[in-house]
Amino acid sequence: MINGITLSYFIFLLPLLVFVINGLFVGNRSAKGAAAIAVIGNGIAAACAILVAVDYFTSGMAPGKVIPYEFTFLPFAGFNANIGLLTDPLSMMMMVVVTFISFMVNIYSIGYMRKDPSAGRFFSLLSLFSFSMLGLVAATNLFQMFIFWELVGVSSYLLIGFWYHKPSAVSASKQAFILTRFADSFFLCGIVLVSYIVGSFDFSVINDLTLHDFYHTTINLGITTISQADALVLGAVLIFIGGWGKSAMFPMHIWLPNAMEGPTPVSSIIHSATMVVAGVYLVARLFPFFAICKGTLDIIMVVGAFTMVFAAVIACTQKDIKRILAYSTLSQLGYMMFALGVCSMGDVVVTTGWTASTFHIFTHAFFKCSLFLIAGSVIHVVHTNDLDKMGGLWSKMPFTYWCCFICVLAISGIPPFSGFFSKDEIILAAFQGHHYVVFGLALLTSGLTTFYMFRMFFLAFHGDARSELVRGHRIKEDFAMTLPIVVLAIPSFLGGYIAKGFFEHYFKPGSLHIPQLVKLEELPWLPYIAVGVALLALFIAWVCYCSPRAKVNKALDETNRSSFYKIVYHKFYFDEIYYAVVRQFVFGGIARTARFIQDYIIEGILAFVVASVHKMGNLVRFAQSGYLPFYLGTLIVGVIFWRIFGQLPL
Amino acid sequence: MNFTLPSFIIPDALLLLFPFIVIGSRLFCSYRSQIPWRIANIGFIAIFVLLNFIPLANNVGKFFICNWKIDDFGVLMREVLMLSAMLGMWLSKDYFEHGADGKPQMHQIAEFTGAIAFATFGGFTIVSACDMLTFFLGLEIATIPMYALTAWNKKDQLGSEAATKYIMMGSVATAFELFGFSYLYGFSGSIYFNDIRMAVEAGATHPLLWLSILFLFCGIGFKLTLFPFYTWAPDVYEGAPTPVTAVLSVTSKAAAIAFLVVLVFGPLAPVQEQIAPFIALLAGVTLFVGNLGALKQTRLRRFMAYSSIAQAGYIMIALLGPVEMARTAIIYYLFIYAVSNYLAFFIFGIIGHHREETFDSLRGLSQQNPALAIALAISMFSLAGIPPLAGFFGKFHLFFAGATTGHYALVAFAVLNNVIALYYYLQLIKSAWIDEPEDHLSPLRLTKRQRSIIVALSAAVVLLGVLPFLSNNIFGGFTF
Repeated sequence: MINGITLSYFIFLLPLLVFVINGLFVGNRSAKGAAAIAVIGNGIAAACAILVAVDYFTSGMAPGKVIPYEFTFLPFAGFNANIGLLTDPLSMMMMVVVTFISFMVNIYSIGYMRKDPSAGRFFSLLSLFSFSMLGLVAATNLFQMFIFWELVGVSSYLLIGFWYHKPSAVSASKQAFILTRFADSFFLCGIVLVSYIVGSFDFSVINDLTLHDFYHTTINLGITTISQADALVLGAVLIFIGGWGKSAMFPMHIWLPNAMEGPTPVSSIIHSATMVVAGVYLVARLFPFFAICKGTLDIIMVVGAFTMVFAAVIACTQKDIKRILAYSTLSQLGYMMFALGVCSMGDVVVTTGWTASTFHIFTHAFFKCSLFLIAGSVIHVVHTNDLDKMGGLWSKMPFTYWCCFICVLAISGIPPFSGFFSKDEIILAAFQGHHYVVFGLALLTSGLTTFYMFRMFFLAFHGDARSELVRGHRIKEDFAMTLPIVVLAIPSFLGGYIAKGFFEHYFKPGSLHIPQLVKLEELPWLPYIAVGVALLALFIAWVCYCSPRAKVNKALDETNRSSFYKIVYHKFYFDEIYYAVVRQFVFGGIARTARFIQDYIIEGILAFVVASVHKMGNLVRFAQSGYLPFYLGTLIVGVIFWRIFGQLPL
Repeated sequence: MNFTLPSFIIPDALLLLFPFIVIGSRLFCSYRSQIPWRIANIGFIAIFVLLNFIPLANNVGKFFICNWKIDDFGVLMREVLMLSAMLGMWLSKDYFEHGADGKPQMHQIAEFTGAIAFATFGGFTIVSACDMLTFFLGLEIATIPMYALTAWNKKDQLGSEAATKYIMMGSVATAFELFGFSYLYGFSGSIYFNDIRMAVEAGATHPLLWLSILFLFCGIGFKLTLFPFYTWAPDVYEGAPTPVTAVLSVTSKAAAIAFLVVLVFGPLAPVQEQIAPFIALLAGVTLFVGNLGALKQTRLRRFMAYSSIAQAGYIMIALLGPVEMARTAIIYYLFIYAVSNYLAFFIFGIIGHHREETFDSLRGLSQQNPALAIALAISMFSLAGIPPLAGFFGKFHLFFAGATTGHYALVAFAVLNNVIALYYYLQLIKSAWIDEPEDHLSPLRLTKRQRSIIVALSAAVVLLGVLPFLSNNIFGGFTF
């Protein structure tokens, strides 16, 4: 019997199966076999996801929330930790996106990893990631979400450090893991706090709360005693910190650009399209809960908006093609994050931001994934990430060039490409929420986005070839690598136009326990302004980097520049600040003190305990003499011993 | 006569008939025939499968001829015992085909399985008993075949010595036991548990009662290897053939702990709280001494003896908990303990085929047979109680039961002791993974049976830990 429910099992089990098979049996024997299994497995999973989504949306269930199955994973006193599948428009959309992109990236990796000796391990880990990410988006409760949240973190760690012989990759993987774990520890505290007060892990229960019931009871947090309502707000902020780290919001952003040390397909699926939006997904999933916890949404908005501008400014100066895309991802994540935040208007909410944010997750996944794959193709050809060594690629890689053009237009928000629709909605939502500063920043950033994307585009593909490799060699586009790029360019082109109505119809954050503003201002002039800003930025980029009179070499030279440019070029010295803090404060201060206590006090006590335990061990061995009379004696002595010491009321 | 056999009694009846059939079949076939072995296999598996058809979650328990009680605890305990019997039988098969650990080959497998079946039936009797007489008989039926099994290898002098020690000390322990029972009878005037329970409720402070409790615990302390009655265990574990050691460490221990569970939550239930300090002391001292003893061993079976002494201490902790929780925790732990322990013994059996069963023989195992070394690591980590393996959850429930009634100090002490335990279990893993082999190692050969059992047991240990809901019916089925 094949129906939606059985198909949805396959969505999860196939990637897991691929991971197990490739990891244990096929991976280290045949890279080709591993690739075939991975592509087929993930392909079927993607097909299943699409079928299930179609089934869900056509059967009339949408936009309701349905839990087709749920197992008890761990019973606690009073409530259970379950593992299940939640189907609602948001999770269905994410599932389709994750499986589809995973399928594309697996195909792409056939070409990208063709000469890598450990490709089998790569395919196995990639499927582990898909499985974990699917578990995350399908989570019915915080507990399941946290398990898979950590699992995606682990697979991200393993894949960033995939080339473990490169020291930079290893340190980047450590940094990513430690920073996200740092944020996750707050997340876990939040989960404990909220589930303790609410008495459930389930999203449905948590989202259905009203704070009125919690004002009069208090909870002791160890340091102070506060009312449960305040504790819930604190829990909401703690939970958001988990998403803060995972989505690499400022100032925990530094791991994401460094994570570009991993293979490019990894950057494409994990660090742009899917995993990093987990933080946004978390906020979207718990939106009704965040909405009642006053102030939380404002924090989210400020963090998102700041990251958006901050990252976009840095992206304008970078020369490493993958880092530009990484900062662009940060900036776009900022868009999605603040779009959720702007829903709050004091005591009321507007939900257009929620719709816009989820819409942007959808469109961004396709064009950003595609852009990374394009960057990977280019790097594959010129053997460097550096824009210095590129240029003039357009005639050598025509398919890649045109797809890149589509995607760059999409991210720049030029109609009718997909990014235009979602970004337009986000900016509109900021206006409707009466957050005019954010609205202005969003428009500005939209211009910056166009500028840096076209800067990258022109420098990579146009102008004269600046490296021997491009000039001399005959460059051929790899079919396995070009196919996914072309396929992904289609939704990047049309996705926004087609899906706009769909998102507006089905994507609502569910029932809210806070008044909603229904009558909203429309801004018929907004698209023109946004497009105008984008076109202006495009023109500036063209003048600087592509026009016949542009001095490209001078533009690429970062040495002879103003001090502001240098600060931006060095990413505001954030890596250095982190390094200094960690070195001076954590290593120098805390670690040294701890080391002292460890060396002289704890070790001493331990040595004493160990020595005495060994002494006693010898005693027991000594008693084991082997003489039967002695043994029989112990029986009698034992009874007398327990008569005296057994504390029996005799 | 209108007498029909109720279906829930069929496994017990079959197990009682089983040894006679297996041993009897020897009369009709030649010495080398495999038929008794096949019959034994079919019989054990059939009984185990039939046990699974007895529905759980029956509050009262069912009675057969009014004093043979079958309740949830009994059924699950039967499953533990049958599991142990089956695995013990499969483990022993190789020892009847070739010598091992420097000892000659064993003979008469039919009688051997018969003896295991009798010991198992003894365990069945203990959990079914409703009166002292049956109870005591069960204990003896479970013990006496063990004496014979210990000395099964007639050509091995160490085995005979071990059996002598075992039987001598066992007789003293039986005497203690009988002495305790007689005082209990003298105190209550009845051999029936229900009557005793009422008498205990009425006269909880009577010295006769407490004298009998002291002797009963000391007597069973011998079987359960509690301090200081454990002294036989290292010598007997060392001297007995390896499969017998395995059966001793699981079946015998399970029967003994079942004895205590029946006693403490049956006739002595009204005074459980007063016995609790005694149980806590027994548990604490035992697990401490067991852990200390295991620290400096070089021979694998002696090591396992101390390990199982410590495990007995851990199991005792659960006896302090409320009845339902304690029974659940003990059953769950026994399943996991049986699986982990047998996994270790199967590996030792393979190692011992051509070498001595010592730590040194494990050296270089990770290079020679990585799969076996992984299985060994799984088994040791599970015994040490490292998450996410099954042993961790087993220990967790034991400690949780103890902590529920407020014995935090004991639980903390047990957890600290776990550190010592981890140290010596890790030493075994170190031998297998880190130490370089000294000279040329004789090759390891695995039969198909060994391979499939090791895979199945390892998978069980891992899965029960990673997917705790697999064991839900043990928790869910219990409503006493």
